[in-house]
Amino acid sequence: MASEKIPLLELKGVNKTFNGVVRALIDVNICLYPGEILGIVGENGAGKSTLMKILAGVLPPDSGEMYFLGAKVSFPRNPREAASRGIALVPQEKGVIPHLKVYQFLTLGNEDCFSSFGRLKIGEMRKTAEKILSELNIDCDTNAYMYELPLPVQKLVEIAKAILTIRVRCRNTKITPVVILDEPTAPLAVEHRKHLFEFMTKAKEHTSFVFVSHIIPEILGFADRIYVLRDGRVVASHNLREEKLSEEDIFREIVGRSSSEFLKRRESVTRETPWRVLLSVRNLSKRGSYYNVSFDLHEGECLGLFGTAGSGKAEIIKTLAGIMDFDEGEVVFDGRSLRKGEPPYMRLRRGIGYFSGETGKELFLNWSIARNLSILNLEKVITLGGIILNSKKEEEIAERVMRALKIKAPSPRTECYSLSGGNKQKVSVGKWMERKPRLLLLEDPTIGIDVGAREDIYEALLEMKKNGISMVLVSDDPKEYVLLCDRILYIKGGRIEKTVTPEELEKILREE
Amino acid sequence: MRVFLRIFRENFVIFVLLALLALFSIIYPQKFWSPVNISAIFRQFLRLSLFALGPTMVVTMGSMDLTYVGIWMLGGVLTWYLHPKLGSLAILVYPLLGLATGLLTGLVQVKAKIPSFILTLSVTVSYWGLTAWLSGGYPRMVRGYRFITTSLSPYVPMALVLAIPIMASAIFIMKGTKVGTYLYAIGSNEEGAELSGIDTRKYKILAFTLSGLFTGVGLIILFPLLGGAAPTELRLGNLVEPLIAIVLGGTPLVGGSGGPEKTLLGAFTFAVIQRGLGLAFLKPELVNLLLGLIVLGAIFVGTRKLKGMIVT
Repeated sequence: MASEKIPLLELKGVNKTFNGVVRALIDVNICLYPGEILGIVGENGAGKSTLMKILAGVLPPDSGEMYFLGAKVSFPRNPREAASRGIALVPQEKGVIPHLKVYQFLTLGNEDCFSSFGRLKIGEMRKTAEKILSELNIDCDTNAYMYELPLPVQKLVEIAKAILTIRVRCRNTKITPVVILDEPTAPLAVEHRKHLFEFMTKAKEHTSFVFVSHIIPEILGFADRIYVLRDGRVVASHNLREEKLSEEDIFREIVGRSSSEFLKRRESVTRETPWRVLLSVRNLSKRGSYYNVSFDLHEGECLGLFGTAGSGKAEIIKTLAGIMDFDEGEVVFDGRSLRKGEPPYMRLRRGIGYFSGETGKELFLNWSIARNLSILNLEKVITLGGIILNSKKEEEIAERVMRALKIKAPSPRTECYSLSGGNKQKVSVGKWMERKPRLLLLEDPTIGIDVGAREDIYEALLEMKKNGISMVLVSDDPKEYVLLCDRILYIKGGRIEKTVTPEELEKILREE
Repeated sequence: MRVFLRIFRENFVIFVLLALLALFSIIYPQKFWSPVNISAIFRQFLRLSLFALGPTMVVTMGSMDLTYVGIWMLGGVLTWYLHPKLGSLAILVYPLLGLATGLLTGLVQVKAKIPSFILTLSVTVSYWGLTAWLSGGYPRMVRGYRFITTSLSPYVPMALVLAIPIMASAIFIMKGTKVGTYLYAIGSNEEGAELSGIDTRKYKILAFTLSGLFTGVGLIILFPLLGGAAPTELRLGNLVEPLIAIVLGGTPLVGGSGGPEKTLLGAFTFAVIQRGLGLAFLKPELVNLLLGLIVLGAIFVGTRKLKGMIVT
């Protein structure tokens, strides 16, 4: 269908190198047609974000050509110039300015159109803001602060801002606006993602979307065409309207190998003999979050808490970690009752570790990999009467962990901020691998990272499980439960509905 | 009604202020509301607020500006230098010095990426040294400017009326113009502001320049009001008290929220606390201790109420 139409935008032979060494993009060609949703998939570090930033005028390319409705144009030099051509970016993170009011945020960068002699016409700004929000069916108060809005609404307001910016900046009303969404679903729960997709499918009539994601099923669900990026190159492009593709096909293109053998390995891990109970939870309640939660966890077992966002699963795991407190009930760990209001470090002393995949929570980014690994394992690296930090020992541990988790970095002394998202996450997992807690609480352990890194992390977690470490898992990715868990508690409205096996969960998911 | 509720919710310091006014009215029924005390509160309010207005803009942007004491000191000795030649006009050296200082610190901060706290502190220390050198180590008196130091009524000093346009324009810049919106945006999320197409470096320099300019213009009023001679010694109180007014008013030091109108409230509350304690004839050491504790308490209670805000 697409070949007869003139593409709205076309990039040819785009190259980009960082610091003269890292080749982020190599000879990339893509095009975008009016009124379509274009998916860009690839691992972290494949160059997706760099490509989007070049499109939106945030970064300049080293070389390449840009065509606009068939005519050659120069690359936009800044976001403002991009907007004047009808392109705007909704960044992956840090796009929201929390302390601005909604109407201020929506018009940010375009105040010149709403002021006379330097004075802002606030009434007019609010009216414009209300108009675009009602047009896009976004329900929120324009006088509220951005931080007061729920996360999914913030994302929608960001999209509205992109569209509004294009309208204000771009004089040619005939041009279809292009909104670039960089990993928009990462901070959203499953049901809010659906809402976002519905929103985009509706808005497709008047707006083109470029949608960057590493979550394959959601891309397959609603994109019209996709490009697959690997190591800075476009390795494949598909028209999803015409081709029928499975997740497995795209997975193979993204990582350059197959995943099926790994997914099958799960069965070999399950044990025959039941081990003793490590954690026992009785009638645990927290008003407004969860009620009468009771379960037992055995040594070396992985228990999943499955449910939608807001079902109380996150609150339960946070309670076990000591981040949240409970109102009533009892938690017995290794024969001892856990006190109320016990802080996380006390839980750690007992052998309960908590790992959250939310980026930036776990790591000290300006520290080296080795130091980040030893922060949880100081007793191993401190020698000579517990005073001196043995950096040789530290590096030894780091090298071992890096090998086990396939962390790609020049040396154990590499500072963590320079690592890609997946490698950062691996360092976080490595800390716990080395620490060997008796119970590891996992909350979204692989959120926001690519398939290849996920696989390495799953492998490490399964290895830990085999060594007798118990786990509790909370995740937004249903597949993770099937892969890692022995038993799954199905939670709804803060209560345990039923207990299912991974196979049963798989069936439930397929029926849905 | 809803607007009022919102104002009260967002400016908890109003409750602190009302409570303190009630408390001091009960303790000193006559003395506190006497013309002498009221005009003294206004003078103290002017001192705190005119020093704090400029820096408030930089603080909402997420940086720090401590140059105000330095500008006061160096400008004082420059005024004394120029007074024999220029007469009363000599005081106009203040806005010029403020503008130049602000522009320069802004440029250095953005180009050299030095943390603003230590940069502006160094500027003040350097100006202190320069002042001591130029003045020969003595505070130099400049007379004149009686129209600023007179009283409009027994309660209201003339300077307060003169300061109102300065305060109003600070509030206007922050609330009603593009520049103000951008400063809030940068303080709240610098990267996001950049992605919205804002030249953050330009507006950072502008914030420091505005801050210096407001300090300089404010000093036209403050210099005569504070005795017509700038000190040649750096005193901690001069440096810290305007900052307390900023934080007490509800502008967190991490930036993003707050603003000049809150600083005015904070400055007034702090002035009331200071005068209220001053009336008690306590030992000066004790006054400072109590002052510190009350401010700590007020900020503690105030920040509890700012739900969802980042508090520092």
